[in-house]
Amino acid sequence: MSRQPDFRSGPRGPQPRLWQVGWLGLGALVLALAGYQALAARAEAGAAEARLAGVTREVAALASRRAALAARARAGSDPLAALDAPPARIVADVASVLPPDARLDRLAIDYGRGGALELLVVARDAASWDLLLERLERSPRIHDVEPGPEARAAEVRSVVRARWSAAP
Amino acid sequence: MALLRTRTYLAIDAASVAAAEVSHGVKTARLRALVREPLASGALVPGPSGANLADPEAVQAALGRVLDRVGRARVTLVLPDGLARLLLVEAPAGVEPREFVRFRLGASLPWPADETSVDTLAAGAGRVIGAAIGRASVAEYEQAARAAGAQVEQVFLAPLMALSGLLRQGAGEAVHAVLGDVAVCLAFLRDGALAGLRSRRRDRSAGEAERLAEEMQRLSAAAGNGHAGVTLAFTGSDAARLRAEIGAPSPAPDGQPDGDEAGWLGGLLR
Repeated sequence: MSRQPDFRSGPRGPQPRLWQVGWLGLGALVLALAGYQALAARAEAGAAEARLAGVTREVAALASRRAALAARARAGSDPLAALDAPPARIVADVASVLPPDARLDRLAIDYGRGGALELLVVARDAASWDLLLERLERSPRIHDVEPGPEARAAEVRSVVRARWSAAP
Repeated sequence: MALLRTRTYLAIDAASVAAAEVSHGVKTARLRALVREPLASGALVPGPSGANLADPEAVQAALGRVLDRVGRARVTLVLPDGLARLLLVEAPAGVEPREFVRFRLGASLPWPADETSVDTLAAGAGRVIGAAIGRASVAEYEQAARAAGAQVEQVFLAPLMALSGLLRQGAGEAVHAVLGDVAVCLAFLRDGALAGLRSRRRDRSAGEAERLAEEMQRLSAAAGNGHAGVTLAFTGSDAARLRAEIGAPSPAPDGQPDGDEAGWLGGLLR
């Protein structure tokens, strides 16, 4: 229906025109869309905040672990905890590198000096002795291998000093 | 705005009051209910000045009954033809049409100029229909409606509602007689615009149809129609009798009402 002249005698506000109603509707639509987007952005921000908190916690944990590892690395001669290096594990590591013609007469582990090892070894000949040293040096957890004085007349009997660590 | 809602129109004329429920869409209107209550002769005499309600209690009672039947209180009040002065004008460039109508009609109004409500309706081809009505008359009808329990939201004029519908419909070349109970509005439409307009009180004595037909022919001639074959159309109060008297064809049944309310209600529904 087109606009009719209105002769009402009472007070009245200005009659809204169709285009005004249209703009009002458009404004309401834009407002609703903005509200929806604001809510969506707020939810997204909440999720991002939660993710950030998780990452922050993870970073803090990694930093503390890194600090612990760095401290351990700095203090190479720090005491080695028996819990980290049980004697059976060290013995097994040493036994795994012994050639067939060599035997381990004695093994001393000094936990107070960071896992220092003292191996009394008897090898049938020099070749077995050399093979033992080579294997000890290639072993991933045995470091700082220092062979003692040796006599190569027949069998070789000597003391080898080394250090065992859990990290390769 | 009358968009996307159902409005109740409460129409008052000399012979009856009526309430119509109309559902308005964006470009459509549909009649949902129409109820009518007759008024005793002389209970209401529509006129431009002086009291119109000779028997206010009877009018209020009739209004109350139709409102009860439609069950709605918020209404658009439809005032009858005969209250307002109507004028077809083309305002000069730069002049506000409403002020031009006030200027043109001011000296001839039978009530004080500062007690006048003036408004306009676009009539096509750069012209407007100006309407001037006394505020006291409007207030008298509003008071009657309020006393019957209505909340008056708007006040329309029946002849302007009818003309609005004809203009919106883009009716072909024809002279329309929009009939109220006491007044008639003659409108010559051509090329979708209003080319001529007259409004006067009805003379219901014998021969009314012939007199109206002659006046409609004169209107079309005065408005520039050189041929005599213009279509004459009657709508509103007593239209069927007048059409029969002069042998004018009845309108094709198109779902529009053809009773006393056909003028203003047809204007809404077109």
